[in-house]
Amino acid sequence: MNRSRVLFHMVRADFLERVRRYSFLFTLGFSIYLGYAMYSGKINMQLGSYHGVANSAWLGSVVGLAGSVFLSLVGFYVVKNTIQRDRETRVGRILAATPMSRSFYTLSKALSNLAVLSAMILILAGAAIVIQLTHGGVGRISLFDLLSPILIFGLCAMSVTAAIAVLFETIPGLRGGVGNIAYFFLWCFLLNLSIRPLLTGQSPSVSTSMRDYTGITTISGQMQAQLHQLDPEYKGGSGFYIGSSHRGTKTFVWTGVKWNATIILSRIFWIGVAFCLTLIAAGLFDRFDPARETLSLKRSKKQAVLPKPDELDRLPIHIRETQLHASDLTPLVHGRSHVRFVALVLAELRLLLRGQHWWWYAVAAGLFVGCLFAPLDSARSGVILVAWLWPALLWSQLGTREAQFSTQAIIFSAPHAFPRQLLSSWAAGVVLALLTGGGLGLRLMLARDTDGLFGWVVAAIFIPALALALGVCTESRKPFEAVYTAWWYIGPLHQMRKLDFIGTQPTSSTPGLYLAASLMLLLVACLWRRGRLAHA
Amino acid sequence: MNLVIEDVSKQYRGGHLALRNFSLTMKPGVLGLLGPNGAGKTTLMGILATITKATEGRVLWNGAEIAKNPDALRSVLGYLPQDFGVYPNLNAVEFLEYLAAVKGLDKATAARRIPELLELVNLTDARKRALGGYSGGMKQRVGIAQALLNDPQLLIVDEPTAGLDPEERVRFRNLLSDLSGERIVVLSTHIVSDVEATATDIALIANGTLVAHATPEALLLQVEGKVWEWVVPSGDLNEVRQRHQISSTNRRSDGVHVRVLGDEPPQGAQPVTPSLEDAYLFCLSRHRGGVAA
Repeated sequence: MNRSRVLFHMVRADFLERVRRYSFLFTLGFSIYLGYAMYSGKINMQLGSYHGVANSAWLGSVVGLAGSVFLSLVGFYVVKNTIQRDRETRVGRILAATPMSRSFYTLSKALSNLAVLSAMILILAGAAIVIQLTHGGVGRISLFDLLSPILIFGLCAMSVTAAIAVLFETIPGLRGGVGNIAYFFLWCFLLNLSIRPLLTGQSPSVSTSMRDYTGITTISGQMQAQLHQLDPEYKGGSGFYIGSSHRGTKTFVWTGVKWNATIILSRIFWIGVAFCLTLIAAGLFDRFDPARETLSLKRSKKQAVLPKPDELDRLPIHIRETQLHASDLTPLVHGRSHVRFVALVLAELRLLLRGQHWWWYAVAAGLFVGCLFAPLDSARSGVILVAWLWPALLWSQLGTREAQFSTQAIIFSAPHAFPRQLLSSWAAGVVLALLTGGGLGLRLMLARDTDGLFGWVVAAIFIPALALALGVCTESRKPFEAVYTAWWYIGPLHQMRKLDFIGTQPTSSTPGLYLAASLMLLLVACLWRRGRLAHA
Repeated sequence: MNLVIEDVSKQYRGGHLALRNFSLTMKPGVLGLLGPNGAGKTTLMGILATITKATEGRVLWNGAEIAKNPDALRSVLGYLPQDFGVYPNLNAVEFLEYLAAVKGLDKATAARRIPELLELVNLTDARKRALGGYSGGMKQRVGIAQALLNDPQLLIVDEPTAGLDPEERVRFRNLLSDLSGERIVVLSTHIVSDVEATATDIALIANGTLVAHATPEALLLQVEGKVWEWVVPSGDLNEVRQRHQISSTNRRSDGVHVRVLGDEPPQGAQPVTPSLEDAYLFCLSRHRGGVAA
């Protein structure tokens, strides 16, 4: 069998395995929603007070950019599990025993990621056609104008995202939650790199094109140039807006992307970057070597100190013969029902914190002290942000641990496990929030700032409720890690009213809203878990 | 104390019928649930352990339907699933402490029983090690310990000896025998020797239906006078396989010693004392409509 055929079958098998999972429906759902949001005008692009008439060129450009910008973020979290799945299912060990090279494996995984992301892009392309046909589209459909920006910019950005996902999976420290959070900031950085020439008014050049991995500067730059010719009063500026109220009042006819060698070369450059990232991933890939896996886990501090493989061999299985018999066990008095909610909360808290190294506690303690001694305004709008980002990877365990470690059968066959275990898990998350952010709580208490204190308590309730709901519904840690980081960045860090769940400023604080949201999220978590259990 | 399964059927999404009108009554003792892979054992265990619901029929624990009040059974239930996980960062004591809290054991009882159970499953010296570093057999023993935490009246163990070495397997069989008495133990397995060593009752299951429910002695009686052994040249083995229901073969210096099931002895064969494995194969063969002649 030749190599291309092997590659085809590896990509095909991986792609089919993914698309036949229920989670793929959520993936498609997101693409469909993105298409709908643009159809209904909830997401639109405008240039100053202008927006384009809905012809093929405009729709193709806008949908292509929305795809490359938004799917490069969301898509990463969708596809970053392909090597992990081979690890968990032990298929990886079978593959490792074949002549397949590491670079061949990572390349097949990157292509499989790209196939999944391409499916999402194709849905957006379909949405663009539907929008023009049914939503007041102007002019004849030009498939080239409509599809070329979507496919060229969208697929290029997806190839980079696919390769980064594979790279993260091969780096032990980035394989888990740290990688999920780190990618958000990497995405912000790449987007900033892409968009900076637009913001600084740099004229288009080879350099700006090469930095523009989403295509936003290239397309917006050409649109702005066209507008400058049409309207000398036009002062520049462009962007995506979420919410239909931002729609521009004036229209212009966008004639489409002027494809040139620089644009094509820049896309080839980014595909080359994706290929290089895949090769780097091959160099870092452990080829499912259990010895390197153990080492990786220790390095990534995800496990408590585990014995090395050679220690495991020496570990005495039959340490000594016991003389104890079953009849010697302390008998139990049945019929007495103990409700040990506090004990269960403490046990859940211990489970959350177990495996953390001393430096984790040292940083948490430092942030606690920082909240306590920094000026109140700085503590409220600065230190607390870090203090409540620090435990994000612990909160992301809520609601997912039972599925992740296959303990459902043991736990859910215990009496009254639902909803007691679920709520105690959430309560442990609240305790963790109160402890890590406790410095600010004390400050607000001493300052008799009851509004601030209320907001702080609500945030401590809300964060674990969000983690629990997302965890229970998806049985994965990734959704919380991605959503929380993005929300933290947009809301509290930029003090955006209604999105600032921490209440970093009195003006941006809406604790009543978040208290109601917390209760709703807890209800969702309970109902979802109840639905999953046979006898709740 | 009794557990009654009445006409239970279980159909999964996609239409696969894992159990069909399964009925069985259990009393204190060890019930060995024997059956080939895919027979429906794990589905039945899941229903008894309140993990999954029957599509039809009902299960009664001391007369009360478990679907209506699962917690009444759960408070006296010990369950060792076939596939289960542990939290790798906890050690054995911490893991059992956590499950004791989940199961509602009071602190003093948990503090007494956990060291005893770890001693019982021979993990006392490894109790402080992170579970992530345990071998498969050691994890299995932690699973056995957790199933016994609440001194269960109904103990359900699904393929419990999987991953255990021969010595630990013997220890576990002895433990099960010790545990039986005033409790019902359901031991699901496809390893006949595990059942042979411990079971006071045997239920044979195949294709989701109950093939037989009897004491080991009664099952052996069914196959009495139907097991034969004779020596054939190894070249004739394939022909023998086609004509007879073979229970086992052993290659020796004088040829292949073949053990067959049938009403009539093959020419030159001698009758031998049947084993439980013979009885198991005989019942399955009869259920499938096979000819043991």
